[in-house]
Amino acid sequence: MIFGLEFPPIENLVEWPNIFGPADSWYGFNKIALINLIALVGTTVLFLVAGRKKTLEPATNAPKGSRNLVESAVAFIRDGIIIETIGPAGLRYLPFLASLFFFILITNIFEVIPFFHMPGNARMAGPAVLALLTWAYFIAVGIKHQGLKYFWNSVAPPGVPKALLPLVVPIELLSTFIVRPFSLAVRLFANMLAGHILLVTFSVLCITLWGASLLLVVLPFSFVMLVGLTGFEIMVAFLQAYIFTILASVYIGSSMHAEH
Amino acid sequence: MLASILVLAAEASTTAAELLDQAAGDAEAVKNPILPTVNEMLYAAIFFIALWTLMKFVLLPRITSVMDGRTDKIRDDLAAAEAAETERVAKLAQYEAGLAGARAEAVSIIEATRAEGDAERRTQITAAEAEVAAARAEAAAEIADAKARARSELTGSITDIAVGAAEAVIQMPLDRAAQGRIVEDYVNSSGKN
Repeated sequence: MIFGLEFPPIENLVEWPNIFGPADSWYGFNKIALINLIALVGTTVLFLVAGRKKTLEPATNAPKGSRNLVESAVAFIRDGIIIETIGPAGLRYLPFLASLFFFILITNIFEVIPFFHMPGNARMAGPAVLALLTWAYFIAVGIKHQGLKYFWNSVAPPGVPKALLPLVVPIELLSTFIVRPFSLAVRLFANMLAGHILLVTFSVLCITLWGASLLLVVLPFSFVMLVGLTGFEIMVAFLQAYIFTILASVYIGSSMHAEH
Repeated sequence: MLASILVLAAEASTTAAELLDQAAGDAEAVKNPILPTVNEMLYAAIFFIALWTLMKFVLLPRITSVMDGRTDKIRDDLAAAEAAETERVAKLAQYEAGLAGARAEAVSIIEATRAEGDAERRTQITAAEAEVAAARAEAAAEIADAKARARSELTGSITDIAVGAAEAVIQMPLDRAAQGRIVEDYVNSSGKN
């Protein structure tokens, strides 16, 4: 109870019972897993609908409808993220980065979808998996382009005076291989959890004020805040998907060349 | 004494063990909601990798192939437009060059025609002037002849009238030839004044 409000404990906001599978089992399928599944199916359906033969012809015309949406998003990732951070050589990583963007965006947007009202990334599991995959991916790209020298080039960038290496190597080691995945995951998770808690707070406030006769006059302000924050969270959902994707792209690009 | 100490120690150790068990139980009961759970990580990994695979082999190629086709077409159209523009500029230059040549030719023709016209005009004027001069000379001669003829006729008439008048006054004939010379001299001298 905070200031007369019955605020639910944090576990009730982010933990969901399994839809199937026993509680605490390693394969229990809960609401978060369902959101992730919908992100997979939703993205697939959107791309398949956009890529139908009917919408492909004539290819020379300007795209419309779902095709316009998907092409705009792909062009945004290709030109606004990959070309800007890696250059044309990074276009081969478009599938990974587009998957990241759409997966994060759709799981985030469930924060404002009725009957779900829970961003998939407000649980640490999703961001942690995506950050670990990104971490493994940029290391693999580094090894592919530079061989095993990638590890040394990453912690001791070319051009750094030898006298500074004892200082630079631990810092780079920490920042490149530990802080990067950790910050990627925590940034996404913390932002979405904070947004989720904000929306819950104002929702609880609205519900409580609805039943309070004297404080009913405050309800419109609280409701306006709730609506405004809902719009804000839609922007945050997009922004976090963009930030995660562009940082992944920057990390991949930095792995391709020793001078980075 | 020693036995009681051992009993107390045993009780204390039992209590400590119980406390440790209880603490461990509490820790298990209070799960950290921030930490990731294995089942959620598993499904997140499965679904994301599935999406990545689909994106790489099925979903993106259908979209990017059309986008690339459109980009190629736009590039080709732009190249064609650029070629057409180059051709237009070349044709314009060619046309302007032709126009300048035609204009120069027209100017030269005009100049030649003008010169020819001037020459012709001068010839015509010269001929006309000569003709006019001849006509004038002829007219002058005719006038002189007429004048001489008129003078002669006038002199004869005046002589006849004057002699006739004088003969009538003096009632005697006069020498017409001598009087004729006097009248002629008078007429000639008065014509000079």
